[in-house]
Amino acid sequence: MTRFVLGRLAWMAAILLGVSLVAFVLMRAIPGDFAIAAAGSQRVAPEVLAAIRRDLGIDQPLTAQYLSWLGHALTGDLGTSFVTRRPVLGELLSRLAVTFQLTFVAAIIATLMGLATGLAAARLRGVTDWLVRLWNGLMLAVPNYVVATLIVLLCGLYFPEITVLGYTPFLENPLANIGSLLLPGLALALAVSVTIAENMRAAVLEVASQDFVMVGRAKGLGRGAILRDYLVRNALTPVITAAGLKIAALLGGSILVETIFAIPGMGQYLFDSINSRDYPVIQAIVLVAAGIVVLVNTAIDIAYARVDARVQM
Amino acid sequence: MSGAAQETAPAGAPAAAAGRQGSVFTQGRLLLGLGLAMLAAMLVVTILAPLIAPYSPSATSPDSLAPASAGHLLGTDSIGRDVLSRLIVGGRTTLLITVTAVLIALVAGLILGLAAGYLGGLVDEIIMRALDVIFAFPVLLLAIAVVAALGPTVPNLILTIAIVYTPAMARVVRAPVLSVKQWDHVEAARSIGMSEMRLVLRHILPIVVSPILVATSLTLSQTIFTVTALSFLGLGPPPPDPNWGGMLSEARQFMELAPLTVIGPAAAIVFATLTFIIIANGLREVLDVGSVR
Repeated sequence: MTRFVLGRLAWMAAILLGVSLVAFVLMRAIPGDFAIAAAGSQRVAPEVLAAIRRDLGIDQPLTAQYLSWLGHALTGDLGTSFVTRRPVLGELLSRLAVTFQLTFVAAIIATLMGLATGLAAARLRGVTDWLVRLWNGLMLAVPNYVVATLIVLLCGLYFPEITVLGYTPFLENPLANIGSLLLPGLALALAVSVTIAENMRAAVLEVASQDFVMVGRAKGLGRGAILRDYLVRNALTPVITAAGLKIAALLGGSILVETIFAIPGMGQYLFDSINSRDYPVIQAIVLVAAGIVVLVNTAIDIAYARVDARVQM
Repeated sequence: MSGAAQETAPAGAPAAAAGRQGSVFTQGRLLLGLGLAMLAAMLVVTILAPLIAPYSPSATSPDSLAPASAGHLLGTDSIGRDVLSRLIVGGRTTLLITVTAVLIALVAGLILGLAAGYLGGLVDEIIMRALDVIFAFPVLLLAIAVVAALGPTVPNLILTIAIVYTPAMARVVRAPVLSVKQWDHVEAARSIGMSEMRLVLRHILPIVVSPILVATSLTLSQTIFTVTALSFLGLGPPPPDPNWGGMLSEARQFMELAPLTVIGPAAAIVFATLTFIIIANGLREVLDVGSVR
């Protein structure tokens, strides 16, 4: 086990190194002069450009630039925004907190919806099963930003008194905070809940056909007890794994939903930075977001290996 | 990356499952037929777009944000352009980028996957490790980063999408190749002195066809999502050519005044995505491919 974990961690470090290289190369690949982009204008005196080049270290060879950038990134210095001229890290952390909150709300909604519909489909079968599967099939084809746009549209048309857009910080008003995240959370959650529901349905059907459930029924256990102690408990392990992977992917999916609902999270920060060509911020967000996904995936791999002895170590 | 072991796709003979239930219209065939019909409809509209579209997609009129009428079946947008015409023509850009990009990813994935799976050893290690790095990025995030760096033009978008989806394709190809290359008929072909190239083309490639078909149609549906999402963020093909993601994004400002300007592109995006998902599910049953991803 220790060897497995160490191997996974070493692998994770290698991937993170690769990720950082991609993030670095991408931002050096932008067309035109990076110093002009940094100055924010074409009409800059050559001396100023030279000073900017020296400041940013662009006059150094590429390997030296990469190593210095990586060194700074490792110590928490993610560069300075071209627009605000302030360090990226502080702003990024506060944005990240909002995105985590949104992801958390979405994960809860997705889990509740997915487990409930999956269980209902597997236990009731018949029309319910058919409806749930039809819904799942349809929802797979609806991108989350389309869901988000349609939610905003419908609320605007039929419930104009509800404020749909915007975000209230938690410390300001906890209840309004959760309220402002419910609809964007729902838009993000739908696709994930489909995966959870399909997994839950399959897992419950699988468990229900096994002998120990029949034994339980034969010895007179009530429906509730069988459902709770036998079906749900045994079905949950595979569902949790699938859900974990999907929830990690939510981080990437929140870019559009945050932009649509005007939630000041990392996604909206990225959107704004793209529009203002704020390359250090784009680079930092790419690095941090990919880093988080790698971390979460590694954590899931290790947790999965602990739970399931069949995983090759 | 994922801990859940990826199932090695059973490389059964294509169409072995078709007659399984005795009826010609098994669920798989029905799904596939439906999907192909939807695809055909989409292709006809896309190819004949300039002939079908009632107006020029860039022609403005003083009649802005008009509701649906006989003159404008889906109404007009904020500067009076006909929404239906823009949808029909916009499909060209969106589908052109999608299909070209996925074809490139398919070819690249096929070559890399075959090389990694068949040659094995160090080649396999290098190819798969490099692809793992790309795989570590959330698809949309990587696409955004690449397009933001290179600039949003049609060739750049195609290149970006192709890069982003190549690793998944290569994985789908590599898994069956790993097992097939040890099968007896491959061993036999090698022992009678068949050249390596011919061996791969005649005996390895056919086995990969079924899983790769399913993976391609799934990737097409995801690519529609990514392409329209990029356009939605302002990283799509430059104006004035319309495209579905861009239309959806432009329409948001006035959508409560003219809901059709949003519902139109939303429906088009869902229709296209659904088409490829249905084809993928149909193919999976007809070709008897297990879970591909």
